[in-house]
Amino acid sequence: MNRKFKLLFLAAFGRAYIRIVGGNRELSWILWEIILPLLMVTSVVYAYQSLGAPGEYIGFVILGGAMMSYWFNVLWGMGSSLYWEKERGNLEVFMITPAPLEGLLLGMALGGMFNTTLRASSMIIVGVLFFRAKFVFETLPTAFLIFFLTLLALYSLGMAMASLYLMYSRSGWRASELLSEPIMFLSGLYYPITVFPMILQIIASILPLTIGLDGIRRSLILGENVLDLTWHVFLLSAMIPILMVIAVKLLRYMEYKAKREGRLILRWM
Amino acid sequence: MTYAVETIDLTRVFKRGKSTIKALDNVNISIRKGEIFGLLGPNGAGKTTLIRILATLLLPTSGEAYVNGYDVIKEPDKVREIINIVSGGERAGYGILTVRENLWYYSQLYGYGWREGWKKVDELINLLDMKDFANVRLNRLSTGMIQKYNLARGLINDPKILFLDEPTLGLDVEVARYIRKIIKNLVRENPDKTILLTTHYMAEAEQLCDRIAIIHKGRIIAEGTSDDLKHMVSKEKIFKVEVRGIVGALDYIRKINGVKALTYKGDIVTGVTSIRLVLSDNDLISKIVEALNEKRFKVLSVVKVEPTLEDVFLKLVGARLVE
Repeated sequence: MNRKFKLLFLAAFGRAYIRIVGGNRELSWILWEIILPLLMVTSVVYAYQSLGAPGEYIGFVILGGAMMSYWFNVLWGMGSSLYWEKERGNLEVFMITPAPLEGLLLGMALGGMFNTTLRASSMIIVGVLFFRAKFVFETLPTAFLIFFLTLLALYSLGMAMASLYLMYSRSGWRASELLSEPIMFLSGLYYPITVFPMILQIIASILPLTIGLDGIRRSLILGENVLDLTWHVFLLSAMIPILMVIAVKLLRYMEYKAKREGRLILRWM
Repeated sequence: MTYAVETIDLTRVFKRGKSTIKALDNVNISIRKGEIFGLLGPNGAGKTTLIRILATLLLPTSGEAYVNGYDVIKEPDKVREIINIVSGGERAGYGILTVRENLWYYSQLYGYGWREGWKKVDELINLLDMKDFANVRLNRLSTGMIQKYNLARGLINDPKILFLDEPTLGLDVEVARYIRKIIKNLVRENPDKTILLTTHYMAEAEQLCDRIAIIHKGRIIAEGTSDDLKHMVSKEKIFKVEVRGIVGALDYIRKINGVKALTYKGDIVTGVTSIRLVLSDNDLISKIVEALNEKRFKVLSVVKVEPTLEDVFLKLVGARLVE
């Protein structure tokens, strides 16, 4: 195996292991991770129920909440993780190894996906068992395909976000904040984006989270199959390489700039 | 000849607002393979900046730097395969994980793989006598244990060139002695290994290093073996004078013709001040004692001492290495 590829794979594996083992070592952490996000989703479900919304809306909200967990993981778990790695001195130790930085980020992404999947799964289980959310399981492969493509696009975006933290440290939080609420608003996590005026719908449609969430809802709630959702698959597949290239280029550029300006391992900033 | 480390006119300037700070100023060093090379200097002298450039963490403003013949700017990946760094006071790692788990993670970054990684970790745990706390979480270790763990991490890739940045900083005497013994043995048993050690402890530099460079304000101001450096003050006479009371700036002594340098350190607890003097002539000491008596300081002892690296630093810079 090519040395560079081997190092990328092992660094990702090592970092994911740390995130999964470390993140689940304390039972109380797992409970907090799962229970607290459920409260938000539950409150929206109750709001819909009290308004007498159709039953499909429950599944709609549950899926929105589950996907929101991934988006928050991308923004705060992956992007800002690099800031904490820097603050603790772990980034310095990583950067003197021959392992590529992409390996560290990939490991964070995989570890984050695993932990977030625990959270997202618990939401779906609670939704099915307690709120009687109804899903169409025949189209599960289509939902998984779109889900997988959405994650690739989102975590590529996360890698680009992380490069901002590499250079700007704490100031990178501003970028995360900028992408947090507006994207929650635009991606229709708790409502269909058809409620927006056309111009906002077009803007929202360029976000991978909006497309992915819409595709997953259509397949799991409305029972649409992959042929009905080719446009979703096409758009996400086109976004992934673009976002990946942008992320890698940005990462390389920020790494160079940070080394030149002496910010790569500068702490307390 | 390929040096383990070579720098040519290496300069690094930091911009802080409108002002600039020259952390390294045309540094030229050549470290031979198998050498323990010491970089001695006070805080802020540029030691860590130099190591960071050599470790590919920072780009120089100008000049060249090579590690085992590899250009640190153009070939960082090749450099990273053969180096490692251990810094004093470093707390890198993941507190929730054990020492073994942390070390295993670092083994992955050098391409060891699952089984090989655990094997390498166990080898290091045995080598550094870390069995007692190998399965303890990192956030529960004492400072001494942390530094042993850091050293194990620094040896995980069996580096050809190891940068030790103040490795015994803040350690108690026993652990510091142990770390120094490990460093010494490492090079003795692996003659192809090279160590660049930065320190502001002169005894440490003298005990460990084959050659020493003194760095001050980003410039190398002297270089050679410990004996070479001490030879720089062989013509001078070094005296240590102890007086009762805490003395002032001692400008009246500095003004005496033939006083090349002096430092002093007062002990508030005992009320005794220790003055170290570099003089051109033995006879001058009587004038100095007289001057102290005139200022009503009771002289407790006067001892002529062998020159140390501290005196070399004192003569070259006019200040103590460790304040």
